[in-house]
Amino acid sequence: MEVVLHPLCKTIVTVKSLSYRRQQQPLHFFQKPNFSSSLNHFSSLAFCANLSSLSRFSQPVLSATQEDQLSVGENSDTKEWALQDFYSLRRDVEITSQRVEEIRGSAGLQLLEQELSDLEEKAASSSFWDDRAKAQQTLSTLADVKDKIKLLNEFKTQIEDAETIVKLTEEMESTDRGLLEEAASLIKELIKALDRFELTQLLSGPYDKEGAVISITAGAGGTDAQDWADMLLRMYTRWGEKQRYKTRVIEKSPGEEAGIKSATLEVEGRYAYGYLSGEKGTHRIVRQSPFNAKGLRQTSFSGIEVMPLLPEESLNVEIPEEDLDISFSRAGGKGGQNVNKVETAVRITHIPTGVTLRCTEERSQLANKIKALSRLKAKLLVIAEEQRASEIKQIRGDAVKAEWGQQIRNYVFHPYKLVKDVRTGYETPDVTSVMDGELDPFIKSYLKHKYNMALSASGAN
Amino acid sequence: MKLSLSSVYTPYSFPIILKSYAFSNLCKPFCSSALSSSPPISLKPQVPLFLRPPIYSTKFCDFKKWHDWAKGIASSIGSTFVNSDNGPDSSILCRELKWLMEDAVEDHSLFSKMGFENYDERVKMRVGIEELYDLWKERIEKRRPFQYVVGCEHWRDLVLSVQEGVLIPRPETELIVDFVCDVVSKNEDLKRGVWADLGTGSGALAIGIGGASGIGGRVIATDINPVSVAVAAYNVQRYCLQDKIEVREGSWFEPLKDIEGKLAGLVSNPPYIPSKEISGLQAEVGRHEPRVALDGGIDGMDYLFHLCDGAALFLKPGGYFAFETNGEQQCRALVDYMKNKRSESLCNFEIVADFAGIQRFVIGFHH
Repeated sequence: MEVVLHPLCKTIVTVKSLSYRRQQQPLHFFQKPNFSSSLNHFSSLAFCANLSSLSRFSQPVLSATQEDQLSVGENSDTKEWALQDFYSLRRDVEITSQRVEEIRGSAGLQLLEQELSDLEEKAASSSFWDDRAKAQQTLSTLADVKDKIKLLNEFKTQIEDAETIVKLTEEMESTDRGLLEEAASLIKELIKALDRFELTQLLSGPYDKEGAVISITAGAGGTDAQDWADMLLRMYTRWGEKQRYKTRVIEKSPGEEAGIKSATLEVEGRYAYGYLSGEKGTHRIVRQSPFNAKGLRQTSFSGIEVMPLLPEESLNVEIPEEDLDISFSRAGGKGGQNVNKVETAVRITHIPTGVTLRCTEERSQLANKIKALSRLKAKLLVIAEEQRASEIKQIRGDAVKAEWGQQIRNYVFHPYKLVKDVRTGYETPDVTSVMDGELDPFIKSYLKHKYNMALSASGAN
Repeated sequence: MKLSLSSVYTPYSFPIILKSYAFSNLCKPFCSSALSSSPPISLKPQVPLFLRPPIYSTKFCDFKKWHDWAKGIASSIGSTFVNSDNGPDSSILCRELKWLMEDAVEDHSLFSKMGFENYDERVKMRVGIEELYDLWKERIEKRRPFQYVVGCEHWRDLVLSVQEGVLIPRPETELIVDFVCDVVSKNEDLKRGVWADLGTGSGALAIGIGGASGIGGRVIATDINPVSVAVAAYNVQRYCLQDKIEVREGSWFEPLKDIEGKLAGLVSNPPYIPSKEISGLQAEVGRHEPRVALDGGIDGMDYLFHLCDGAALFLKPGGYFAFETNGEQQCRALVDYMKNKRSESLCNFEIVADFAGIQRFVIGFHH
């Protein structure tokens, strides 16, 4: 080991001796020389880092020296730590460098730059503000593209900075631990930024940024299924709270004995729809029935639908009146003056696709009708997007039924404990945490799964 | 007969009713017999619960206790009322409970916390907790309509004040506003003209057509019942439509003498339930809503015929009318009557079904 590491050991020792020497000097004295010396190192190596990144180095170097003062007595430990640290750092830098390359590649940097210049040309044209709404949209796209390019370039500078430090440490006669720590924190931040970037890549659908409306419907099977629907409502509410989203139960229809027949949950916050959209489908539970004296094993189902919470003005979908079947729930009997029941529920079916929506939370029929219609539009827009249909007319109703009702996840409470997503294969035995809203691993693995599917599909074309 | 409402009822001079005396009286057992016969009539309209100031404060745990109690009662009803007179079931009562809470409590974010124990917090309310107990008891035990309990009804996009003595507007009637919007959108002359809503009750139809349809002219709402006149005027003022809608007290066409033959449009939801059926109605309706707004005589047609006769006289040429009826039989009888007796002035009759598929409305034109 010593043989292989020879040049490096030398460097580390140098670092240590450097820091010892510093401790003997008054603090105000060595601050400046230290800064200029690292500057000298860089310039003597003809390193092509820009000035801004240099000035960033100076700060952590200072704090690192202060830390050194605190750890005076741990000579041998520090040596060991620095060695391992350098190796793991070097490995991290290599891996991350590769990852940055991949991300820059798959993000289509060239295409983005082309798009940017196109958009800038558009924005500069004299007729740009003729259509205000469109102009606003163009500007916001422009800002998004700019941000993305900037971010991708930042990834590159950051990884280059880190690579330089690694190189320096390997080549230089003398260097210091401050630089290594700088590189380590640089890499840590970069990895976080890359994770975030990848996630937003996964959430690049047109409605992913919006809030979401989740509707939960108990499947057949009476009280057990209704209790299951209630558990799911709690699970999503808890998840929303953990994300610091604003959640609101806007409709809840209780079951006869326990649980709920249906409920609607509004989740407000950025990317709520993007995260939740993969939750739609049928969720299955296997457990010992708490409603059966014999405690027999019982399988129940609940359906989840997720729609984006779209502002009214973005729903510019015209649906011909004759395509809609609107029914109002009424207590039956003679109606009119004969009856007084607060039955205001409205159900709207889009006849060509069979997509149906029911709205009960408002206190008047008209209000429910308006709300149901806007939710129906949101749902049709989402389905059109999923099916890559450019118009509502092109939606294939049979496909909607098959996809939106697909069983996506099993929650087994008994005879063993396991939650497993049937699409991604992701699983965990920690049923309790999942029911308490720990859904992130499931959501992320599904988003990656979806992204990969889309990539391979576009690759096949 | 014309009542100059603008001077009597100025919009914001109504004293805010801090305690609803009527409510607390009703719940006392000794006056329960008086309840069904004659509710106390006052000319000062009651302020709906949701508009009262949140001057009461209750500990969260006490509020929750009330909620759990009320919910327990609602659940225990099951389908008892459904079986006795097609009344509300538990799920409807639970929905009403939720809305009662929405109206009674200032901070709605509270409802998401109902599942948690939070004893320190205080709840600001528009009504005292004791009264909440009384209100819910009245709702369940006396079958007092939910809308009277909270003092309002959500109708179309409006929230209308209602109280004992005034018919609670029904969702079916919302459709008449759509008919009017339709007809005025195609006819500039009707749009500019004077419209009338006879037997206006809470003022629902008058405000609906006056506010929504973009009618340029005036709307005159009439009612024989002074409580209705007061409540309708209050609702008109709440929607700042007093320049457009005039409420007149009087029977049917009586207060309209000055505009005979000049009406562009006429709408009405008159009493149409046959007298003998009143006793068998759902308790909320039969025991609490004003008989004068429900009972349409032996076969329920008395006022519908009267409206047809009046329409022939009061509508101007080309004028439009829409009436609500009890169903197919009455619609047919009404059309037959007009064809036989009023065909010299009325024409283009049409029967329109409500959303439940019941033939509910008769519409037509003056020649």
